[in-house]
Amino acid sequence: MEDIMKPLKNNSMKWRYFKQSLFFGAVRLSSLIIALALGGILFYIIVNGIGAISWDFITKPPTDSMTKGGIMPAILGTIYLTIGAIAIGLPLGIASAIYLTEYAKQGRVIRLIKVGINCLAGVPSVVFGLFGLGFFVIFLKFGSSILSGSLTLGFLILPTIIGAAEEALKAVPQTFREASLSLGVSKWQTIYRIVLPNALPGILTGSILGIGRAAGETAPIMFTAAAYFTAKLPGSIFDEVMALPYHIYVLATAGTNIEATRPIQFGTVLVLVAVVLSIDLIAIIIRSYMRKNKRW
Amino acid sequence: MDFNIIIKLNKVNFYYGQSRALTDITMNFRKNKVSALIGPSGCGKSTLLRLLNRMNDLIDGTRVEGEILFEDKNIYAKDVDPVEIRRKVGMVFQKPNPFPKTIYNNIAYGPKLTSMKTDDLDALVEQSLKQAVLWDEVKDILNKSAMNLSGGQQQRLCIARALAMKPDILLMDEPTSALDPISTAKIEELIEELKKNYTIIIVTHNMQQAARISDETAFFYLGNLVEYNKTEKIFTNPDVKHTEDYITGRFG
Repeated sequence: MEDIMKPLKNNSMKWRYFKQSLFFGAVRLSSLIIALALGGILFYIIVNGIGAISWDFITKPPTDSMTKGGIMPAILGTIYLTIGAIAIGLPLGIASAIYLTEYAKQGRVIRLIKVGINCLAGVPSVVFGLFGLGFFVIFLKFGSSILSGSLTLGFLILPTIIGAAEEALKAVPQTFREASLSLGVSKWQTIYRIVLPNALPGILTGSILGIGRAAGETAPIMFTAAAYFTAKLPGSIFDEVMALPYHIYVLATAGTNIEATRPIQFGTVLVLVAVVLSIDLIAIIIRSYMRKNKRW
Repeated sequence: MDFNIIIKLNKVNFYYGQSRALTDITMNFRKNKVSALIGPSGCGKSTLLRLLNRMNDLIDGTRVEGEILFEDKNIYAKDVDPVEIRRKVGMVFQKPNPFPKTIYNNIAYGPKLTSMKTDDLDALVEQSLKQAVLWDEVKDILNKSAMNLSGGQQQRLCIARALAMKPDILLMDEPTSALDPISTAKIEELIEELKKNYTIIIVTHNMQQAARISDETAFFYLGNLVEYNKTEKIFTNPDVKHTEDYITGRFG
């Protein structure tokens, strides 16, 4: 206790500024390392993959046992699966979050459900894949198809979306709800007209993470949707598709000529990154459009 | 039986979980009067106010005993829909809370969603804004966001929004505590004007305000109604010593 009152040794202004710059430096350095790592990965992918990119590469199906030709079916497949996952995960996730934050009586049961959702977020994706195989593919007889894959991916990203939506809903000021309810507007109308519109930008922000994950995951679609090779494009949601992550996996581990197809592998990775980023970009544009209209 | 009574509280007890916030409150609010609820923080005056339009229902674990009669019907009876009650009993909150919508849509929001019979929404918006003495300031910017208005204007907008529902009663929970003196004066003038058509029940921490604008004043302390009387009497010659001490600033 008496130490507090004693003047500290070396507590001159100079020493304190030195400490400050030391810590600022450390913080800066860690940001720099992260930026460098990210930049390095991107740079490596671009350098190795750019050579494979051509108009034919993104518009033609593979040929010669997937050692030549393009990856168009895989691009299309990934886009289908991602859109499917969003179509399933987003409404379900938002609905669950609305129930959890707006309707459910906060108590032990709800806490337990929330813990469960968080655990779900930590479940390895291959477990989701096996669940999808057992439930959607075999039990519900959807077969290996866009539908099974989208459902599996949709459930995979559900915890992310529920979490994001919960936070966004909680961030809407309670005074908005009170104002609306005090006018004799019903609870559902209040949620639909006031709470949800104001929470949507936040929900989208969090969902972007989920969307990226849905597009990039390999394990969940391995057993539920992805084809090793199919030249024909899917005609319905009950058809199998090729998908970029699985295509990369196949080329890199089980292709007919692994070494020779390295450039194609990197080209495919580059395309996958581009697809994920453009889906994110669309979400970001929608979000900023919404934010412009809603402000408090 | 006094026909001028609009709300009757009969032995009302209110609990947040285990703790009792209001004890055996029995009182009547009179029609077309301004009634002020005063008392130190935590005395239960805001709780009482929020009982009158069932806003306390929103809080988990609360419980009401006794009855609150609005036009001779217990608003806590099983068959009463709180949404119905809130249409008839409007509320203005401590901090101005307009929706992040246009000025027009802030007013039109309630009438539109509650399928109120409105032949002419534009007219209703204009009428409500005029009643709240805001029309002249906003008539040219009805399609601008309400968030751009000043605090005082926002609060008058909130009053207009409540009036658009054509309530019988207007509850005000410290409506001027977040406002500057000029805006406060405007709201006080407005209250004076509104009591011709509405019953107003106002919670205030400002003793002068209660004295200036109210016809009747109720003093609460620790969840009990200590004294309820004509404002003039309360502020000049209260029956209870405790009331006098509070009003003269000897405690509180």
